Amino acid sequence: MCKGLATVVMLLLSLCVYGQETITLPLNKESLHSTMIGVGGANILDTYLSPYNYTGTDIRIQRETQRMTTLWGGRVSNQVLIDVNGAINKNHVRNIKEYAGGIRYSQGWFYQFAGGNTVNPVERSSSPWNLAAGLAASGYLGGIYIDRSGNNPAQAKADLMIDMSAMATYDMVIAKHHYLWRYQVSVPLMGIAFSPNYGQSYYEAFELRHHDHNVVFAYPGNMPSMRHRLTLDIPIRRTVLRVGYVAQFNQSTFNHLKYHSYTHDFMIGFNKYFYRR
Amino acid sequence: MKKNLSLIVLSLSLMVFHSCVQEDHYDNSKQGNFEALWKIMNEHYCFFDYKKGELGVDWDEVHARYAAKVNEGMNNTQLFEVLTAMLSELKDGHVNLSASFDFGRNWSFYEDYPENYNDSIAKLYLGHNYSIASGLKYITLDDNIGYVRCESFVEGIGDGNVSSMLNALANCNGLIIDVRGNGGGQLTKAQTLASHFTNKKLLVGYVSHKTGKGRNDFSTPKAVYLDPASDGFRWQKPVVVLTNRAVYSAANDFVKCMKLCPNVTIMGDRTGGGSGMPFTSELPNGWTVRYSAVIFYDADMQHTEFGIEPNISLAMSGADLAQKKDTYIEKARVYLGGGK
Repeated sequence: MCKGLATVVMLLLSLCVYGQETITLPLNKESLHSTMIGVGGANILDTYLSPYNYTGTDIRIQRETQRMTTLWGGRVSNQVLIDVNGAINKNHVRNIKEYAGGIRYSQGWFYQFAGGNTVNPVERSSSPWNLAAGLAASGYLGGIYIDRSGNNPAQAKADLMIDMSAMATYDMVIAKHHYLWRYQVSVPLMGIAFSPNYGQSYYEAFELRHHDHNVVFAYPGNMPSMRHRLTLDIPIRRTVLRVGYVAQFNQSTFNHLKYHSYTHDFMIGFNKYFYRR
Repeated sequence: MKKNLSLIVLSLSLMVFHSCVQEDHYDNSKQGNFEALWKIMNEHYCFFDYKKGELGVDWDEVHARYAAKVNEGMNNTQLFEVLTAMLSELKDGHVNLSASFDFGRNWSFYEDYPENYNDSIAKLYLGHNYSIASGLKYITLDDNIGYVRCESFVEGIGDGNVSSMLNALANCNGLIIDVRGNGGGQLTKAQTLASHFTNKKLLVGYVSHKTGKGRNDFSTPKAVYLDPASDGFRWQKPVVVLTNRAVYSAANDFVKCMKLCPNVTIMGDRTGGGSGMPFTSELPNGWTVRYSAVIFYDADMQHTEFGIEPNISLAMSGADLAQKKDTYIEKARVYLGGGK
């Protein structure tokens, strides 16, 4: 599965490199708002709780706001992405249940290449292809609970990261209708994350306040993670329907504890453009 | 620049995809489950050194001995018996194997010793008019000694409960806290109760956890303190805590703390111990294993895994039992200036 997705990422990013036309856009005050809800699958491993993968159903809600800014001559856009998910899983013999979930808030700034505009490429860009890349500050708060026992059955998850992110749009015109593809990939670059030590109890960490490498420096070497988002905007009269696919590969190896959360969700929602005075 | 950025993101993406974080698994065979259990214990159990010294348990030798008893022709019940027997080598009440049809355990910490408690007789002292403060049953005995029966620390004992109880017993000349048979519960609740018997912060022990898979990978022990209850009633008169071999886990920790409090005397039999905080894990077939993962030492950095000695040793008297009297309670009353 990993190698297959890598091929998709390579293809999409290589396509983004070509076909740009340079245009100059005036600063504008329009913003894109979208809300999507989706369902899919989850595969979670957390060796603090269990040496085995738990699999099940994932539910996700994403709220996105994008707007152009006045930075760098108006070539920088801003994106706020709120991503909430919850999963109900079971172990491989299906006799123990697990609940996992969390919320990630991300605020990113993207440089628009070749004077493009990934906020509203249909109206603001002369090229069907638009590419932007930048950095985002993101924070995650979540947890995992296994209903197996009363002794240390839960694990908290938290991080504050700087992510590298790139997005591309493609305006596909069919019978004068614009179908807009959007793809975004984000990779956490560095930051800090919470983790208990290998055999440390939460009683020690929180009740006794005995901290032991509980705030760790995170980088791709110990937190090799990435998040993908592919959406298609479909105009329906005055409304824009958005369908999409979200795949997230969150992993870490802090304090000799292994963790992964692989989720994929099929999403549906709506877009709306707003204009500020 | 555009190409460079794409290449950076592409490189990071490929690095992530080639860094899938997975754990090695044993298959769900009889041998696989045996190996998985041995490995979980090998990498997480916290008392190997101590048990080797006290019991002579060599975990590698245990592997060799019990591996020979596992074969693919055995049924689940037989496998369960072998795995439970292997875990029982550690003589740890916090080490259990749990399946839908049985609960593997070694409860020799109290099963091999006199019970020193008779529930029917102890109930005669409480009578029918006792009060209950979140699981703490209490009454004033006729010689003006307060009697508190604390059967468990599972229930949420709060400062308000303890203060109300102590306030109601404030006119008593002394207090008996009977924790016999208390198998533990929440450590925080045990410490909440103990915090009402000291006026100053006490060093009550040290705690250390595993920091890696190696059997000697432990954190530097850190001090644990008992803070006096900041709100409510703090008891200032003599106290006797009654113990037996079935006092275990959080109740063992309660006795450890109380032994350091002023005006407190521990009377009875040695406690059962259980000074490791348990974690749980699971086997390929879904059975759950519980094990001691975090070591709690006493204030002298000594283990209390096999119990705490009382200040005054007692044994139940057959003559007292015949007269429906509880030797422990009677001796405690006399010690506190009551009794007949």
